[in-house]
Amino acid sequence: MSDTKIPSGSDTQAIAHATRQNVLRKRSSGRLMIFGFLSPTLAILLFMVAYPIFSLIYYSFYNFSALRQSTMKPVGLGNYAYLLSDPELWERFIFTGKFVFICVTLQMLIGIFVGYQMQKNFRGRDVIFTILMMPMMLSPVVVGFLWRYMLNSEWGIINFLLSSVGIAKIDWLGQTNAALWAAAAADTWMWTPFIVLLATAAFRGIPETIYEAAEVDGASPAYRFFRITLPMSAPVLFIALILRLIDSFKQYDLFVALTGGGPGSSTETVSFSVAKTAFSYFYTGEASALAVILLVIIIGLSMILVRHLTKMGEKY
Amino acid sequence: MTHAKTSTMDLAARWLVLGLLVVYTLYNVGPIFWLLLSSFKSRMDLFTMPPKLFFTPDLSGYQSVFGVGAAKDSASAIGVFDSLVNSIIVSVAGTSLAVFFGTLAGYVCSRFNFMGKGDFMFFVLSTRMLPPVAVLVFYHLMFARLGLADTRFGLILVSIFANVGLATWIMKGFFDGVPKEVEQIAIVNGYTRMYAFTRLVLPMVKGGIAATAGFCFIFAWNEFAFASILTTTQAKTLPVKISAASGATGIEWTQICAAGVVLIIPVLIFFYLIRKHLLMGMTFGVLGRS
Amino acid sequence: MAEITLKNLSIEFGDFKAVDDVNLTVKDGEFVVYLGPSGCGKTTTLRCIAGLVKATRGDVLFDGQRVNDLTASERNIAMVFQFVSLYPHLSIKENIVFPLKARGIAKAEIARKLDWVTDVFKLGDELRRYPGALPPGARQKVALARAVIRDPAVLLLDEPLSAIDEQFREEMRWELGHLQRQLGVTTIYVTHDQREAMSLADRIVLMNDSRIVQVSEPDRMFFDPINVFAGQFIGSPSMNLIDLVPVSGGLRLGDSEVTLTEKRDRLPQWALASKRPLKLGVRPLNVHLTDEKSAGDALPVDDIFSVGRERFFSFRIGDNIYQGVDKRLSTGGTEGRVHFEPEGLLFFDADTGRRVDAEAAA
Repeated sequence: MSDTKIPSGSDTQAIAHATRQNVLRKRSSGRLMIFGFLSPTLAILLFMVAYPIFSLIYYSFYNFSALRQSTMKPVGLGNYAYLLSDPELWERFIFTGKFVFICVTLQMLIGIFVGYQMQKNFRGRDVIFTILMMPMMLSPVVVGFLWRYMLNSEWGIINFLLSSVGIAKIDWLGQTNAALWAAAAADTWMWTPFIVLLATAAFRGIPETIYEAAEVDGASPAYRFFRITLPMSAPVLFIALILRLIDSFKQYDLFVALTGGGPGSSTETVSFSVAKTAFSYFYTGEASALAVILLVIIIGLSMILVRHLTKMGEKY
Repeated sequence: MTHAKTSTMDLAARWLVLGLLVVYTLYNVGPIFWLLLSSFKSRMDLFTMPPKLFFTPDLSGYQSVFGVGAAKDSASAIGVFDSLVNSIIVSVAGTSLAVFFGTLAGYVCSRFNFMGKGDFMFFVLSTRMLPPVAVLVFYHLMFARLGLADTRFGLILVSIFANVGLATWIMKGFFDGVPKEVEQIAIVNGYTRMYAFTRLVLPMVKGGIAATAGFCFIFAWNEFAFASILTTTQAKTLPVKISAASGATGIEWTQICAAGVVLIIPVLIFFYLIRKHLLMGMTFGVLGRS
Repeated sequence: MAEITLKNLSIEFGDFKAVDDVNLTVKDGEFVVYLGPSGCGKTTTLRCIAGLVKATRGDVLFDGQRVNDLTASERNIAMVFQFVSLYPHLSIKENIVFPLKARGIAKAEIARKLDWVTDVFKLGDELRRYPGALPPGARQKVALARAVIRDPAVLLLDEPLSAIDEQFREEMRWELGHLQRQLGVTTIYVTHDQREAMSLADRIVLMNDSRIVQVSEPDRMFFDPINVFAGQFIGSPSMNLIDLVPVSGGLRLGDSEVTLTEKRDRLPQWALASKRPLKLGVRPLNVHLTDEKSAGDALPVDDIFSVGRERFFSFRIGDNIYQGVDKRLSTGGTEGRVHFEPEGLLFFDADTGRRVDAEAAA
């Protein structure tokens, strides 16, 4: 276990007393610390975020093209109106939503399961753990191309393996639905280790005595998992969930490499559309508007989740 | 903890769990293995049916990546080695600073309750929500105006920006797992907060720092979108350089596979170096304060 | 309620023998305390009885039934751990009823038991709060409540009071003893604090170095220790241990001028005649500093100090300092005569440390 000094009863009293005495004196040093420790992060984030965000919002109200900067006219909410009335866009949103839902669900379930198994010490665990982390280490573009290669209906290894067990070859990347699942498989492959890492950390943080007490109390392993392990690691798992959710919504690199948005444009995520609009068509203003819409959705979802998270943390 | 009796139900469950773990491991490792294998295949061998397991190794992929041998790269003015150096500098600097700033910010958010803390935390998180594609153009403009285009410093800034939010949130989680009593005991005994932080609390979250550094390094190293837009010659990083040597003739599969393998090696090295810290000290803040 | 029997119990971790061939029977309803220094094997034995540690050899029996192969859940035991083991994410109320819920007990029954426990432990206000908000003493109370709510056959406690303020500790000790008598549950309590053992136990199991040294009621432990270790571990201030040198007329205390005689100090015959070298064990309460001339020899007094209402004095023999009780009327200087109570004289074999008495001497 860690070398935390466990304060004895008299220590606790001394702490309470001294804390009351020192509160005024320490408050100023605390303030200095807060300011000092936060300012670098705050400064760099503000610096890097300010201009792009303002530009994004600003240009979303303009008929702006990065290519032809001279001919720019304000269109108010025109871009937004155009986008929101486009049925294809709604399809993209639905597609993106499906993708996010599948990915996050799979990654959390698998990640928690594997993380739970990783708790116990076993020989070679360090090495196995490092190997399991490898998918995460690859460049997203490489991952996209790799899976594209493996999923090729003609000579891809996956269809080969399937056919050798008697299953018919599947046109993974030629049909929208199959492509959705293919992309989900690739994304899950790449990011489940992220969840595994965080879940393992969370589970290892639960002291052994709690489990012993639960065993003595008559709780079966399943009961222990659902009533103790999960609730106690909920805050961390929730953070992992939020992070994965945000990242999934932004997913672009993978689709560029894997499907190129195809077949047709059916596997274009919203992010992909933004890129296409901005760099293929050079409708920068419109792309900005779309990005703003996406951002609003992401922020909205996150706010709900973070609020839930804070409520969880207050219990302790 | 040793268990005494195991019923048949337990045994069946154990086998199921083991089976699932094996399936996951294959799923996890299989493609990596396939990538490695494919990187040594010639272009012809890549597309045989059935896929070849045994073949004569061909280094054309790697040759294209490094711009040597049969595939001489003439498109860019900067060599592979230089871009490797760029990548290392940018990634290491970016990761170190992101982890450093994030650790400080995470600590303060864990220990103190100040006005606007919740908003600050959310703001920090929201910096991750920007899809890079949406703001690439604006960054290009901004960097050009500030003279940061095609500089390593510019890329380092981008690297820090991309990762410090993640670092803050994850480190806060780890700090939450250290009981507040640790610092309070030190303060009661006359030590300063800084002392308590650096000598007592920091060593306890070594695992967290390792994990955070690992994640940040991965993101920094593989960062492609910003790097490709913001650099032209001098500051190109390795991912950009590798991808630049393709495109004209369609998808260069051998090159991509080789590139994938080459790119993953530094990350592997990094993770290998921190592997002990990764698991050992890793106890997340589950208990909160008690 | 159950009777616990340990038969030739050995627990080994690789080469390390944590518990070495322990035999013991704890009677139904008895309050037994495992006492001993750190690392003597008492906690390991307890955890083996609980089912958290597997026995390497030997048997653990509950009411005659071998339970070695049963898991902790299956043994109908309850345990209170040393460092608090309450579930931090559950309220006090949920913590207490956890064992009942985990076993699927009916709601009505749970409510009934909860009321009973709330009553006994006076927990009314605390039920809605969370463990994090309570001081360690209160938390252990809750842990105890959680343990007894199930009416377990055996109650096991692993140094439950060690992390608690002295002030609360006494109060909890008393409550614990009272509770145990009320419930009549077979209880095993592990501690390294001999005062706790002396005040709580029906019987004390003294352990050292992975083995049982002595098993007796507290009184017998105190007055009739089986060896030097037992004599010195129990009692505070600890028992004096002095070398005895056979001289003409009696046994001299080490290098001092004090000689114990048959006539004045009622030295037993067999002690005088013993062929083996002996050591004298005598508790401070049996060594008196008095003014009476007839009492004993004069001894250079080192220091006089008070502990509570009692006055103690310390004296030297050779390089060692020993203690006794100051019973003089005046609080004068360092003059006085030392009297050794004959009933308090305990003799130990100087080599083996074992206690020697009439039959054993040869």
